[in-house]
Formats: sequence, C-alpha cells, structure tokens
Amino acid sequence: MHQKRNTKIIFFIINATFSIIIILPILYALSVSLMEPGQIFEYPPKIIPRSLYLQNYKDALATAPILRFILNSFIMASAITIGQIITGTLAAYSFAMLKFKGKNILFLIMLSTLMIPGQAIIISNYLTISSLGWIDSFKALILPTTTSGFAIFLLRQAFLTLPSELKEAAEIDGCSNFRFLFSIAIPLVKPFIGALGIFTFLQAWNMYMWPLLVTNTDTLRTVQIGMSMLQNIDSQSFGTVMAGIIMIILPSIIAFIIGQKQLISGMTAGSVKG
Amino acid sequence: MYVNTTEVKIKSKKSFFENVEPYLYLLPALIIFGIFVFFPLGKTIFLSLNATTPQGKISYFVGLDNYINLMKSPSFRNSLFVTGKFAFINVIFSIFIGFIVSILANEKVFGTGVFRTIYALPMAISSASAAIIWMFIFHPSIGILNYTLKLHIGWLTDPTYALYSVAIVTIWMNIGINFIFIIAALQNIPADLYESASIDGANFFRKHISITIPSIMPTLFFLLIIDIINSFQAFGQINLMTTGGPGEATNLIVYSIYREAFFNNRYGIASAQSIILFIILLILTIFQFKVGEKKVNY
Amino acid sequence: MKIKKISCLVLATSMIMGLVGCGKTVEPSSTDNKKPIEIVFWHAMAGVNGQGITTLVENFNKSNKDIHVTAQFQGTYDDELTKLKTAMQGKAGPDVCQVYDIGSRYMIDGGWVVPVQKYIDSDKYDKTKIEPNLLSYYTIDSKLWSMPFNSSTPILYYNKTAFKEAGLDPNVAPKTFKEVEEYAAKLVKKDNSGTVTQYGFSMAIYGWFFEQLIAKQGQLYTNNNNGRTDRATAVEFEKNGAGLNILKEWETLIKSGNVGNFGRKTDDTKNAFSAGRSAMILESTGALNGLTKGSGGRFEIGTAFIPSLNDAKDGGVIIGGGSLWMIDNKNTDKEKATWEFIKYMSQPQQQVFWSKTSGYFPTNVGAYDLEEMKTHLKANPNFQTAVNQLHQTPTNYNTQGACIGVFSEARSTIETNIEKMLQNKQTPENTIKAAATTINSAIDNYNKTNTK
Repeated sequence: MHQKRNTKIIFFIINATFSIIIILPILYALSVSLMEPGQIFEYPPKIIPRSLYLQNYKDALATAPILRFILNSFIMASAITIGQIITGTLAAYSFAMLKFKGKNILFLIMLSTLMIPGQAIIISNYLTISSLGWIDSFKALILPTTTSGFAIFLLRQAFLTLPSELKEAAEIDGCSNFRFLFSIAIPLVKPFIGALGIFTFLQAWNMYMWPLLVTNTDTLRTVQIGMSMLQNIDSQSFGTVMAGIIMIILPSIIAFIIGQKQLISGMTAGSVKG
Repeated sequence: MYVNTTEVKIKSKKSFFENVEPYLYLLPALIIFGIFVFFPLGKTIFLSLNATTPQGKISYFVGLDNYINLMKSPSFRNSLFVTGKFAFINVIFSIFIGFIVSILANEKVFGTGVFRTIYALPMAISSASAAIIWMFIFHPSIGILNYTLKLHIGWLTDPTYALYSVAIVTIWMNIGINFIFIIAALQNIPADLYESASIDGANFFRKHISITIPSIMPTLFFLLIIDIINSFQAFGQINLMTTGGPGEATNLIVYSIYREAFFNNRYGIASAQSIILFIILLILTIFQFKVGEKKVNY
Repeated sequence: MKIKKISCLVLATSMIMGLVGCGKTVEPSSTDNKKPIEIVFWHAMAGVNGQGITTLVENFNKSNKDIHVTAQFQGTYDDELTKLKTAMQGKAGPDVCQVYDIGSRYMIDGGWVVPVQKYIDSDKYDKTKIEPNLLSYYTIDSKLWSMPFNSSTPILYYNKTAFKEAGLDPNVAPKTFKEVEEYAAKLVKKDNSGTVTQYGFSMAIYGWFFEQLIAKQGQLYTNNNNGRTDRATAVEFEKNGAGLNILKEWETLIKSGNVGNFGRKTDDTKNAFSAGRSAMILESTGALNGLTKGSGGRFEIGTAFIPSLNDAKDGGVIIGGGSLWMIDNKNTDKEKATWEFIKYMSQPQQQVFWSKTSGYFPTNVGAYDLEEMKTHLKANPNFQTAVNQLHQTPTNYNTQGACIGVFSEARSTIETNIEKMLQNKQTPENTIKAAATTINSAIDNYNKTNTK
C-alpha cells in the first residue's frame, strides 16, 4: 500500500512536469498578450505581465477583423465537416454493406487519394478555381475538401462492426438499402461519426495553404491567414499579435475540450484493427 | 467482410436500379475526387512535362527535362535530404513522446483527466498559431528560450539549429494525435496480461517492453504512416518561421514547391517536384504496408 | 445535446449560404441616384503606414463624391504580388495596386497593366513635378508605367544615446564601412560572461542592401545597363567585382565579433535596434516612424547616409519602395477614376502628409515648397537625411537599379547564399559564383518562357 501511494505521487509529479512543459508555450502567449509594449522589449525578457493590459486585445480586434475571420473559419470548417460526413457515410455504407462489381478496386482508388500529397494537386486546383473565377468565395474554400479518403476508411470500419444478420433481417422485412442506412445503420455508428466530425473540424479549422491561395479579401479570410497577416502588421506589436492568437485558438481549444472524450473512443474503436 | 452464408441467391432478375444503386452512393465522393483530386493530378503531370510562362500558361513542351534537371539540382537534392531528415526526427520523437505521455496518463492518479486533456491539446493548435508563438520564444534578440537556458543559439537563424527548431514545433503539435491513438490502444490491453507479468516478477520497464509495445503494434504502425504524411505536409511552420532558410536548411520539398510556383513563377518545375513527392510517398506507403503486414499479424 | 442540435442547424444554414457563394466583397450602397464608381486599391502598408493609407483614402472619398475607393491590405509586398497573380488569372484583381519597385519588369511583362503614361498624355499631366530619380526608375521604353508613391532609400540608423555612452560624437556617424568597423568596436558591450549585450552594428540579410551597396560603388547589377537599354541576360556584379567587395566586408564585420547577425527578417533586426541590442542598423527610411515608436523614448535616434565601400564618384542609392499601377480591367470608367486617385495620391499636400506619417520622402518636388513640410523638416532632421541622400545621387544606369522579371528570386538567392557564407559554409568568392549561376539561370529561363 505504501509503495502504491508513493508510485501514485511520483506519477503525479512526472505528469505535472510534462503537462507544464507542453502547455507552457500557450501560457507564455497568454502572458505576453497581457503585457504593455514597453515591457515586451525589455531585456532581460519578462515572463509575468506587470498588469492585466487588455489594450492589446482591443488593438488586435481593431487592426484585423478577427471576429470575421473566426466566423469565416467556422463556416468553412463546419461545411467541410458536414460534407465529409455525408459523402463519407454514403460511400462507406456502399463499400461495407452492399455488393457490386468492382467494389475492391473502387475502394482502393478512393483510399489512394490519401497518398496523394496536397502539394501535387494544389497548384492545379488553384489554377482550376481561378479560371472558374471562384477565387475569394466560400465555394473555393469548401468544395475541394468535401470528401476524404480518411472519412470513408474510418466509416467503413465503423459499418463493418455491425453484425451482418442485422442487414439480412432488414432485407427480409423488405427494408430498402436507403432506409436501412438512415434508420438503423447511422444511429448505430454515431460515436464514430461524432469522432470523425471533431477530427475533421479541427483539420479544416487549421488549414493554411489552401485558404492562403484562394482568399484575397478580409471578408473571406480564415483565421489562420488572418493571423499570419496580423503578424505582418507591425514588427513591434508582439502583444497585439499574441492577443490575436489567444482569441483565435480559444474556439478550437473549447471545441476540443468538449469533444475530447468522444474523439478518443470513436477514433480508435475499430479504426486500427482493420 | 460482409459474407452472406444463409440467404439463397436467386441469380435472376435484379432490377436496373438494384444494379446501379450501390454506385449511386459512391457518386458524391467520386465526383469530388474526380474534379479535385484526379483531374488536378493529371493536370499536374501534364504541367510537369512543360515549361510555363511566368504567368502560369504553357510555354513549350520539354518532356522529362524538368525531372532530369531536378534530380541534377543540388538545391532539390538538398530538399530531399532535409525532408527525409525532418520526417525521421519528427516521426521518431512524436511517437516516442506520445508513447511516454500515454503511459504516464494511463495510470489512474489524481488529475488524470486534466493531464489527458493537456497532452492532447496541441492537436487543437494550428500550425500558424504554433509557429507564431514559437517564433517569439525563439526570437534572436528578445526570445525567452535563450534567456532562460542561458544560451545564445540562433534557433531560427543558424542553419545548424533551424531544422531542429522547426522539428521541435512540429513534434509539439503532433504530440496530441499520437497521444490519443496510443492511449486508446493502451486501454484495450487486458489488465490480466500485466498481472501475470507481475507475478512472474517483471518490473515496470520490462512489462512495457514485453507486453505494451507488442500489443499496440497496429497503432504504432498506423501512427507511423500518419506522422510521415504529416512530416511531408509540414508547411505553415516553415512559411512563417524560416521561409526555407537559413541557407536552405529547412527547405522541405513542400515549401520548395510553393516557392517555385508562387515566387519563381515556374509552375512546370513546381509540378514536377510535386509528382516526385507523390511517387516518394506512394513508395513509402506501399513499402510500409508490405513490411507492416508481416510484423503486425501475429 | 441541445448545443449539438442548435449547432447542426447553424451549420446546415451556413453551409447552404456558403455554397451559394455569398462571400464576395460587399460593396457599399450609395443613397444617391448616381452611384459612385467603385475602385479597389491593394496595398502592402502595415501598422502606422497602413493607418496613413486609410486616412488618405478616406480624404479622397470625401473630396471626390463620384468615386469610392476601397483600400485592402494584402500583407507583405511578396504576398500581395502572389495574390495579384492569383487574382489576375481569376479575373478578380483590383483596379489600382501598389507594387514594390522590383516587381516592375514582371508587371510590364504580365500584360495586366495600363501604363500611366497613357493618361499623362491624355490629361496633359506635368510629369516634371515628380522627382527625376523616381521617374527614371519607372520609365521603360520611354513610357512611365506606374506612378511612384512611397519612395525610400536605405539609411543608417544609429543610437545617439549609445554613441554618447561610448564616448562618440552623437552627431557624427560613420561614412565608410571602415569607419563602421571602428565605431562598432567602440560601441559593442559585453556582460560579465563575455556575451554581447549590445552589438555595434548589424545589417539584416536583405537582398535590397546588397543591390544598394553595388549602386553605391558605382557599378551595375546586371548587364545591358541594368536591363534598361535592352533586356538583361545575366548579372554583372560577378564580373565587375562589386558583389565580392560587399561580401568580403560583410564577412569581416561578422568575424570581428562586434556585429550582430539577426537573420533574414528585417523585423528581427529592427527589433534588435529598438531593444537596444544593436547600436547601428541599415534600414529603409520608411521604417523611421516605426523605429521611433519602438524605441519608446528610451534612446535618441540619429540617421545618416549609408556607408560606402569605395570612393566612387558616380555611386549613389537606388530608390526603393513602391509605386501605384493601374490594372487593365477593360473598363475605361474605372481607369479614369483610378487616374484621379493616382493623381490625388501624388499631390504635394498628400505627399507631405504621407511623408510625415511614414518617413518615406515625398515623390512630388512641390511638397518642399509647402510650409508644413518646411516646418516638419526643421523639427525632424532625421527625415531630411533620406532626401539629401537622394538629391546627392547622380542619375545614371547604376543608380537606376536593375530591371529584371526574376527579382524576388534573385534577392532570395543572394540572401540564401549570404546565410551560407556567414555560417562558414562557403567562401565569399564561391558565394558570388553560386548566386550568379542561379540568378543567371533564372533570368535565362524567364526570357525563354516569356512568350505570350
């Protein structure tokens, strides 16, 4: 008993140490965001702000339409997430539960898209989008990633966990494939869909290169681009930049904390055993 | 796989709809893949065989010249080398640290929930945010890192360190994903395996080496692929922190493609670089699957 | 779960909204019957300078009710040019765009612009009001292609307070690089462990400085008179040895231990100056206000001409900064409106305001006649420095600066190679050779593929 208690304490200390190291950069950013400009340039550099200087946040909101950026990112990430879930569910259902010719080949082809690096297609996609005149539109931000091999793969694994007898029984009862999908299959794989949703949302929220290329104006810019622009604004305003960053990572951290449990359980139950 | 053993198949008329129906489910995904993945892939291959005008249109056909010149170019070879080195460091440390924090957080101690959230947290931070925060930490004149550690390292300005600095940021960002997968896998390991090992007298480290690691092999293998793909995609950090420098020390292929296309205006050559990257990733993934299959199935 | 339901609804709505493509720029509606002509102005001015632009545009809109200009900040000059290329391919470009000096050849070759000469001729605009050095930079094939707007030259900034502490006369700055070496040795400060806390001098690894120092030596950057009498086909700084002189000096400075290397980002070197970590730096005159703000009254700033490497009589500085380009959107009404805006931005009054806000010197010589400017110069001698340096620069091919379509790449190549040199990975001689080879190959490729 004694040993067990000591072990627990040791583990706690080690955990705490690691946690602090990992979260330190974020805490530091928070600290700098509350410092006044004079203090930031002091050498030796300081860690704790002298006072809660909120002007940085006001400045950040005044220099770049951060709220607009957050809204844009939210719209884009949500739309992409919904898109991937819908297209992924449909395709995965077909692969997992329906019989048809060429199933394996088609699945491999869809899976192969995972191996195609974004850079191999980003230039061509950008030229396509610009020749269509879609630059600076939500269409351009959302459409290209409305489906993903990862989503299809994960959801297929999810459907494969459902017993085949379920579908057989439904067929005998005269249930159409479509009805089975919506009334029975989807509700049963909800945790997987939930996990996929959060993962996809975060991925989409963090997209950098594509929005960089296809957006020009502040009305469409996403949070990631907006932030790198904020950084360019003034070589001296680190406080403002950090304030902008804190405001930008806050939504994703919150979304993350909410969806965290689902993420762990849904992501892994079955996706790696396949 | 879905195997039908009980139903008697009447091989006669399946209606037209029934034949077509499965394909209809695939249609949305196929259309989008077609337009935004396969078509551009084809276009990129085509572009890579041409020289382009500074504005991006086709100028004249060059066949495989772009590829040949790239393989001869010391700059591109440097990119290949730097990318490989980066991927190697990133993958090893991301998995290693992810593994350690998973083991740490797997024990039920006070505050486990908080620790787990923190370990996974970097996943929610985008590459741009992370880059800007770390740039300030690494700052050559007012950076807190140099001051705290009493060092005078040019984290981002010294070619010896730049790649490692970018790797540190990338690993930090990747800890979250690796942690999530590993800890979930750890929780699937039956507890009695450890108990019998304890009875046999195995200590802490022995237990983990003989039981834990083999049990989570599929997960580690999966993470290997994910981490390698992430390494090859690392762009935001490079674009903000080092722009490929100093002295091309962090000129990863992905960044080199971006510069070639959008600064040097040579879309043909940039396309050729993309295709080479694609082929490398393809070979790597196939190779991993072949090797992984043997190791994972026991 | 309720949160989930609400968010689902929001997501669904937003997705539909998004796909309908309601993301285009919202244009302000006018309550008058006659709508003002809308023109879009892209610029790369940030911080204090960006605010100056906003004010100028607001004033224009107020005094020109039939034209409405929307100014959009596009990041750095490089980002802005990338955006422009994207936009022009998608036919979604601005009407007037501020582009940096080195983008000139590319802009001309791109076929996207209407040379302002067209409107100078039709409007009988008096070009001679503009500084001659600026006119010569942007005139190619006898046409003025763009209207100079924010013009700068590099100057030496120094910390007068640090000078006093080191026993140096705060009103006398080094004139040659040899003097820089001496001053730096006196200005450097070290702490007990021997680490430098204040460098005497530092210079960001910025291709612009390289180009300036070549011109200051009275030499050409590329052949064919810097690409002005005919298209450039190769660099000249290798053959005329000017490049090597710069690099050798740079190496000497760094090796002395008194000079700091803060890398490529000019921001980092500026920060170092503001934080008192470098007593002297080279920077654009356009950075004056930003640096004054950053020093926060902790020390006094002095300015001087950039130091010279030799005593060439026909050397000088090349104008830097940017100019306003009229984009060809096949819309004469918009072009005319753009021309009005461009003229406005070049007026003496506006240039005085702009100059006071940013530290760039006025493009319009009439500015110096205005009382406001005279008072301003008297009160702020630091602003006068760049002007004097400009007026003492002879106009010749050297100081006109190079005109090539691959300038961004050329600069980046120089910077990368200097980085390697400063890390002792290659000698100055090899650095010049490597840079020249790469740049020549890029120029060659550009000329070969530049078919329309």
